[in-house]
Amino acid sequence: MKKKYFYTHIIDTSAISLELGNMDMTSKERIHLISLMDSNLHHEILDLILSELNPIDKKTFLHHLASENHDKIWKFLNQKVGNIEEKIKKTAEDLKKELHKDIKEIGIKDK
Amino acid sequence: MILAGAVQAKNTKNATTRISLDLPMTQSHYKNLRDRWRARQQNLQRKLWSKHKESLDWVSNNYRQLVAGSLGSLMLLTGQTASPSIFLPQAKAQSESAVQKIDKEIFLISDLASVLPKNVRSLNTDEELGVSEILTRVFGFKTTPELDNKRLNRNYGFIGAEQHLARYPGDTLSTHFDSEDDAKFYWQSGMAPGLGAWGYFVSSSNSLSQLDKDREKYYIAVQTFLSKDFNKRFSEYRDFYKYRKMLVVNPNNGRAIVADIADAGPGESTGKHLGGSPEVMYYLERFDGSLKGPVIYFFVDDPNDNIPLGPAIPK
Repeated sequence: MKKKYFYTHIIDTSAISLELGNMDMTSKERIHLISLMDSNLHHEILDLILSELNPIDKKTFLHHLASENHDKIWKFLNQKVGNIEEKIKKTAEDLKKELHKDIKEIGIKDK
Repeated sequence: MILAGAVQAKNTKNATTRISLDLPMTQSHYKNLRDRWRARQQNLQRKLWSKHKESLDWVSNNYRQLVAGSLGSLMLLTGQTASPSIFLPQAKAQSESAVQKIDKEIFLISDLASVLPKNVRSLNTDEELGVSEILTRVFGFKTTPELDNKRLNRNYGFIGAEQHLARYPGDTLSTHFDSEDDAKFYWQSGMAPGLGAWGYFVSSSNSLSQLDKDREKYYIAVQTFLSKDFNKRFSEYRDFYKYRKMLVVNPNNGRAIVADIADAGPGESTGKHLGGSPEVMYYLERFDGSLKGPVIYFFVDDPNDNIPLGPAIPK
């Protein structure tokens, strides 16, 4: 099975998915929220990466992204950006904290 | 470690083929989180596009033909937003192998990408024919670039954001919305300082019907004044265009809406080719300014007035 995104294997969003699973909503609504979480994550990570690259490298990266060649993406990023894997993980963790906070606040508000 | 994909596949197991933003809003948890996360997403999109516009425009122009194979990564960029329908096909593909199970919107995106030019420009006759055939087949009603020997100056162009139109004398933002949710989402777009091209939709609030509401809610402004021989055939065009239904499609995400022409514009100097009401823009997931994107807009051939205004779902 092909991984969904090139970074899927280093980011674990299951805790948020499980929290949503415990909330009072339909499966359709839960899936929609998961898709929004994925999109938020995707945009944060792309912004991080593009901000680290020069204009020519941005196009090379986007070319690999469009081709969904995960190996090439990682090889390229590791050449161009130091500690890219850690930076992606950090970006994801920061966002996950924000999303957790949202979930907690919504829970408190509704009680 | 449980991977996100696995969790998604699990949660998607019982999903239907399409999740719409127009779901019955029964759960406050869902609504609150959805609103927060959607707002955050839009901010992120704006930030991403403002910082890396040149590169993203490049990829949008050069790789749109790959969207069907690049849903997981590229479509988020070219589509500029997350619609549940963008994600579901992937999750479904993980658990169901049959190709025919893939969301029809994805096929629509792929089909249109094979016909549309790489750059946003006027379509030639062959391209118009191809698009018309695709839309007619996918949505189950006839769409056409020309109706009754009348056509707009173009039918593939950049859409900009319009404001709400006053439907009757005295209609303001405080009277304009049917629900708190609508007000919350659409208040900020504001009221247009002038009236639509055909004036008020009705003479008073007492005579406002659901159709009148929908005509304002789902209106577009098109460059009627650039139609061939517009000045010579003014009255003919004026009557023809009034509330004329058009199918407006975002080719990057497959979202489509049946809209009606209720205003003329935008001016040629704006670089935009039509305008959408706040509700139309929201549904199509299109933005104005530096984030503006293209749409296809074809007449709906609906002599018996059977096609309702609003979101159009592939058959």
